[in-house]
Amino acid sequence: MLDREYRRVAYFLILPALTGLVLFRLYPIIASFFISFTDWNVFGGGDWIGLENYVEIFSSKEGRLVLMNTALFTVIYVPGIFIIGLALALALNSGFRWSAGMRALYFLPYITSTVAVTLTWRWIFSTRFGLLNNLLLDLGVSDPPAWLGDPTWSLFTVVFVAVWRDSGFFMILFLAGLQTVDQQLVESARVDGANRWQVFRHVTLPLLAPTSFFVLLIAMVRSTQTFEITYALTGGGPNQSSTTLAFYIYQNAFVHFDMGYAAALAYILCIVIGGLTLVHHRLRRKWAYV
Amino acid sequence: MFQRIVITFTFFIFLTLQSLNAQTIRYMMWDPSQLEVEKATIAKFESSNPGVKIEVSAMPPKEYWPRISALAAAGDLPDVFAMSSGYIQSWHADGQLHNLKAYANKLDMSKWFSGAMDVARLGNGLYAFPQNWVAPVMYFNKDAFDEAGIQYPDSNWTWNDFLTAAVALTKDKDNDGRIDQYGFWAYGRYAHIEPWVFRNGGSLLNPNRTKITPDFRAVETMKFLTDLANLHKVAAKPQDMEGIRQQDVFPMGMSAMWVDGSWNIANVRKITKDKFRWGISQIPKGPNANSSTAKAKGYAWADMLAVSPNTKNADLAWKFIMFMTGSGRTAKDFLGGKVPAYRPIADSNAWLERDSQPSNKEVLLEIGSGTTTTSFTPKWSKWRGYAASKSGGMNGELDEVFNGRQSLRQAIDNFVEYGNKVLSK
Repeated sequence: MLDREYRRVAYFLILPALTGLVLFRLYPIIASFFISFTDWNVFGGGDWIGLENYVEIFSSKEGRLVLMNTALFTVIYVPGIFIIGLALALALNSGFRWSAGMRALYFLPYITSTVAVTLTWRWIFSTRFGLLNNLLLDLGVSDPPAWLGDPTWSLFTVVFVAVWRDSGFFMILFLAGLQTVDQQLVESARVDGANRWQVFRHVTLPLLAPTSFFVLLIAMVRSTQTFEITYALTGGGPNQSSTTLAFYIYQNAFVHFDMGYAAALAYILCIVIGGLTLVHHRLRRKWAYV
Repeated sequence: MFQRIVITFTFFIFLTLQSLNAQTIRYMMWDPSQLEVEKATIAKFESSNPGVKIEVSAMPPKEYWPRISALAAAGDLPDVFAMSSGYIQSWHADGQLHNLKAYANKLDMSKWFSGAMDVARLGNGLYAFPQNWVAPVMYFNKDAFDEAGIQYPDSNWTWNDFLTAAVALTKDKDNDGRIDQYGFWAYGRYAHIEPWVFRNGGSLLNPNRTKITPDFRAVETMKFLTDLANLHKVAAKPQDMEGIRQQDVFPMGMSAMWVDGSWNIANVRKITKDKFRWGISQIPKGPNANSSTAKAKGYAWADMLAVSPNTKNADLAWKFIMFMTGSGRTAKDFLGGKVPAYRPIADSNAWLERDSQPSNKEVLLEIGSGTTTTSFTPKWSKWRGYAASKSGGMNGELDEVFNGRQSLRQAIDNFVEYGNKVLSK
């Protein structure tokens, strides 16, 4: 009897949060699924157009370019962030004199305003007046690239800044993982004659597997959601060459108010993230030592 | 004691009646800094209309459009709200604007720039009223012209005059093999391309604006402009100016001429800080602008105020609009390159600001008094490439030509195909 009373009170207490969740999370998620099958433009009800938005994404040159850019971004960003984050963590975990200060320094880009740091990078990458190109000119490179204005480089430049910004965050995750590595196993391996590389390859890395898989998942999800850096660094250009899915959703939803198309793009992003999570989950069960 | 209760009660009754009588106009606009300028005008309107309260809110454009669109979707638009020339067609098509024609018919329209009104004349109605208008002009560096011994541009300048000057003004001042001052600066954006097209009598659209069909004059213009960067080398490639705000290239002295909207006058003043003398002129006339079928036109468009179709205070909303766009304003509200739509203010010496650069703002009045046109359509931002999607559409394709990576033919084929797909949806 008392238990039932407690339950009632409990439900009553979570009711405000639950209402908010249903109204502001669940309802928009479900509504946007249906919107993705319409040509809704914010004002009117929109007509039901079936799969037209989805067909448009995959059949249009621009839609395919954006999907390709997103895939390429992920393919470069994830290994980049993994290798640099892990390397930094291993270096700082060795406990040298300035490691605490260095840890804070590497983490700094992650907690600084993304737009502010991106604008700084924009100055560095400026074709004519940028620090980088002036350095290259001094080194004898006669015609340095237009990092932000040439489609060959623009996406790589965006990925570079994203990796630079996020490395500190992933370094912290790896550092936390390294704290859990049993030092007795490391010492045993050394006593058995393993060199540094062998210890890392056969002891540290396998024991880091749960952290590594977590990092991979987070990195993959983040790679599909890049927005601020693209917005402030290249604006998605030139000619949409550095536009990825999240930025493209913004363009269609809040510049063109093409909400049906934007909702379809959002659901594709949702499916991609869901798929990556599923693959990650399967692989983790198979390979990770937990 | 009883007396006190009666007085208090009467006071509350009075307040309640007052609030019941008070009429409120909700007004929303996209420029918080402009709101500071407008506050005094709003207060003046309230004091001259007792019982009327103006509830005003302002936010930057990137927040304004999503917010006002959401309010439109919810059927809760403010009574009066700011409307741009780029979005008015879509808003009209969706039935979100009150027809103001009946009110405007009672006005002496000669007091307003009629060209600024054209963009709001849709179907058989008038769906917004202009507050001010802007037009692309050619900015030129007077010091650079004097140094090169060239006469300043005027309204009769031709493409040949322009090209001759651009060649003479392109200079490697320190002989390091890099151009320090280009004759001109342009890329694919609407304010850089369309003014030249219209001054060549050209058009990007079919007559009823449902399709993108650049005529030969438009193609000729785009060829002329992109050749400036690739053939004549008198304009920087857009990719070489990446990392610098495009509107800072001219005021930083990196180009001697530049075509862009008159709203940039404020920025040019701010950046140059009078380090060099500069002026504005009309866009040079194209070679095909004088036939019987095609005349040179100006390119001008208005910032407007619109009324919600659901307002319960349409008469009062119109009265407020009249005050905010006409007699209630002063020249001080429109300093820089925004031209008041109300002629008596635009024609005043106070607005012409002869003691500031440029000293020849009457060029703008000349443009506004002539025939003007635009290329706005529904979904214009998408096919043209605008704001946060400036790297897409026609803009993105033309940039590739300016950068020398794509032929003009290919770019036109691409943006016509893409744009017509957008317009057909």
